[in-house]
Amino acid sequence: MLEAFYFGPSESYLFGVFHPRMGVDRNEAVVLCNPFGQEYMRAHKSVRRLAINLAALGYSVLRFDYRGTGDSAGDLQGVTADHWLEDIGHAVQEVMDMAAVGRVALVGLRLGALFAARAAADFSGVSRVVLWDPVTSGARYVEDIRIAIADAQAEGSRSRLISPDGALHFNGFSMPAEFQRTLATMNLNETLPSLNIPMAQIVSHEAEEFAALERHLGGRANFYAELAPAPHNWNYVDHVGGILWPKPVIDAIEQYFDQTPILGQGALCANRS
Amino acid sequence: MREQVVMVGDDLPLIGVLCEPDTEQNAAPKVAVILLNSGVIHRVGSCRLSVTLARSLSEHAGIATFRFDFSGIGDSDARRGTLTAAQAAVDEVQEVMDYLSRWKQYDRFILYGLCSGDFASYRTALSDSRVMATIQLDGYCYMTWKSYVINYAPKLLSLSRWAQFILRKLGVRKQKKGAEVSGIEERYFEVPGFAGYPPREEVREGLQQLNERGLRMLYVFFGNEYYVYQRQFVDCFKPVAFGDNLTIIHRPHATHILSEPEDRASVVESITRWTRQLIHQPGV
Repeated sequence: MLEAFYFGPSESYLFGVFHPRMGVDRNEAVVLCNPFGQEYMRAHKSVRRLAINLAALGYSVLRFDYRGTGDSAGDLQGVTADHWLEDIGHAVQEVMDMAAVGRVALVGLRLGALFAARAAADFSGVSRVVLWDPVTSGARYVEDIRIAIADAQAEGSRSRLISPDGALHFNGFSMPAEFQRTLATMNLNETLPSLNIPMAQIVSHEAEEFAALERHLGGRANFYAELAPAPHNWNYVDHVGGILWPKPVIDAIEQYFDQTPILGQGALCANRS
Repeated sequence: MREQVVMVGDDLPLIGVLCEPDTEQNAAPKVAVILLNSGVIHRVGSCRLSVTLARSLSEHAGIATFRFDFSGIGDSDARRGTLTAAQAAVDEVQEVMDYLSRWKQYDRFILYGLCSGDFASYRTALSDSRVMATIQLDGYCYMTWKSYVINYAPKLLSLSRWAQFILRKLGVRKQKKGAEVSGIEERYFEVPGFAGYPPREEVREGLQQLNERGLRMLYVFFGNEYYVYQRQFVDCFKPVAFGDNLTIIHRPHATHILSEPEDRASVVESITRWTRQLIHQPGV
């Protein structure tokens, strides 16, 4: 049965849900890294379902909220991208302790993928990284929000705006200036080549940045790519809080973990679309 | 303020977070606020509103809060049974109240909800006298003659509105509902399956009963075409004489999910202030 709890430092405690493995022991745990803002709200059910499915395959899974998000401590005031990387580090250590394993895979959705890749470079024990509809550039992500806000401001929006302190307010969530600045330094194309672990990019739609990443890494034996067509409107906002449920891509990630246990890395060179 | 994760129930537990004020700041040791889900959004609430509000209530009103997921929503597993979601919601709020009463000795509760959450809080208040107050955002309300005039008069003068009306009547243009609005295939998009509003007379009788019991009610309404002026709620449910039991806040420029930062902050502050005043009254 799942276990929900707080972990991490007392001043920046993190909400986590641990899904213990069932059945076979894959000797590897998984940490799921959330996207940001409204995307996080939209993705909660999908991330939870992925955790349940991976646990059923024999992987213990920890999903958690970064500081300043969800049920974790505080808000994003004073928080930087480096703090979120620290949070992933705490989650990796926590799941290692709880599952009694020495290897942890990171799965990141959207902005979570960008953080997962950087965390894979920063923390020992990360066995592989799976990028789900990844944000490939922090700078571009911030810029896209700025453009969307500018468009909305032209129509008099009160929910998409930039406050005098530079914070971006977008679809009900705020991103302070310092977080933007530190996020803008992160780029998958710079991070991934230095990683010497298996990597997978599993996406729900075609996009130039996904294709560029595949061209960049496709020649590596430990890179896997798959297109699993599914809706990807993570920032779609309606008036009742509808939830996105892109089952095909969730299934694809599950199948990847089912068919490519970390000990069988020889299978990782196959690309599917 | 301190928070801890709580799992209510041994089998298929309800997942929640208890947020308590520091002991020296606890203004109402016997009272707790319970925050309910809105639609299918998990317990952090629309735009993280429930987390922000829970912490504000603990820090600035000195009262404990508990936010949790109904079964089948957020982190709580679905439970099997024959109850409708509406009936199960009342049962589960009572289960949480029982649990908190045994564990923390709370004996009175304030229920908070937005949208479907406030429908659940209203129904639970009718079923359980431990509920001393409700905080309802966009709760049950119906049109009045005045709201019809305010809402429809400008539309009667709009040619484009007439054109849309005629196209809909002719079947040329379909009015989209639920998942259709998103343009996302229904099987890939989950929206709440709201039951229709009960008849107005039934709600009026319920409110009359709650009012006579002395339930304190804070209603917050946002901008929409069905609630268009401050006192619409009072007009709607005449002749119920709410008196001091009722407080209404109308934020006509805010949307239902409160994505506007200014409105969100204002609503959190208003609810916190109202709750602080409530629990500082004699006898609470």
